[in-house]
Amino acid sequence: MKTLAIIPAYNEEESIVATVEELKAVASAVDYVVVNDGSRDATLARCREKGYNVLNLPVNVGLTAGFQAGMKYALEHGYDYAVQFDADGQHRPEYLEALVAEAEKSGADIVIGSRFVTEKKPVSARMTGSALISGIVKATTGKKINDPTSGMRLYNRSMIKRYAYESDFGPEPDTVAYLVRQGAKVSEVQVSMRDREAGESYLSFSKSISYMARTCLSILFLQWFR
Amino acid sequence: MSMNVALRLFLLVGAFAVFAMVIRKIRKSEMQSGDSVFWLVFAGSFVVLAIFPQVAFALSDLLGFASPSNFIFICAIALLLIKLFTLSAEVARLRQKLVALTQEIALREKR
Repeated sequence: MKTLAIIPAYNEEESIVATVEELKAVASAVDYVVVNDGSRDATLARCREKGYNVLNLPVNVGLTAGFQAGMKYALEHGYDYAVQFDADGQHRPEYLEALVAEAEKSGADIVIGSRFVTEKKPVSARMTGSALISGIVKATTGKKINDPTSGMRLYNRSMIKRYAYESDFGPEPDTVAYLVRQGAKVSEVQVSMRDREAGESYLSFSKSISYMARTCLSILFLQWFR
Repeated sequence: MSMNVALRLFLLVGAFAVFAMVIRKIRKSEMQSGDSVFWLVFAGSFVVLAIFPQVAFALSDLLGFASPSNFIFICAIALLLIKLFTLSAEVARLRQKLVALTQEIALREKR
């Protein structure tokens, strides 16, 4: 099975080398592509120095479009599975094999590397948001997803096609909920994640609020008209 | 029967300002003729209302507005909202094209 790890990178010069080196060492069966999303720092230079496989977007287009570029690459190069893998070191490559194994075994279209299958959700502001999204996903799709905001998601060939062709298909919980409603099968595998090693978190307070608003609105309302 | 003179003057001045700006943009090739139609019609209707306020009286009476100026305001706001909405849709379409082109450039390096 050909599996591609898509590593979206925007200004990740401090962590990109460590992330790719670890991925290559630990999950050597998995191919990877770094999607450099118009970084203004030395992310591209670091990758070129090391001879990494880079998809270089000349201007910054954001995570949704950057990830979609990775999916188009996966489709063109005949991959069976594609997994989103964060550049900042949060995701541990030792779990990739388990995600692929679960997809093979269960025939799931999407396998989520989940922090809360066997582990309990800790109580915090962020996890309250996660629980709220879980709740509305369950209410609208009937499917319980324990860790909807986990970025570590593996997609099979049919999902790769959809992400490659459709617009406004972000690697986000609302898209997953939409796909579930369309009949996609989702499975979760317990993983652990690290705290961010470098750079600033993508989600500041105001961004968290607008993320929650957009996600909830999309799942509850907009996706019925997609 | 006469509409507030200040409002009529304001409509005329506004209309000519819009005409001047549109012509300047077209001269500098910063606006295409198709895009200018909306603004020229918009400004043209101001001129008509300023010169023939009877039009505004007749229409606002017919629709039950308290005063013709209210009627003119609501029309202007409605037109601008429609313009804003179509612009928002246009920006979304342009963004999609930009994204597709950016991705295509990146993918071509890899073929």
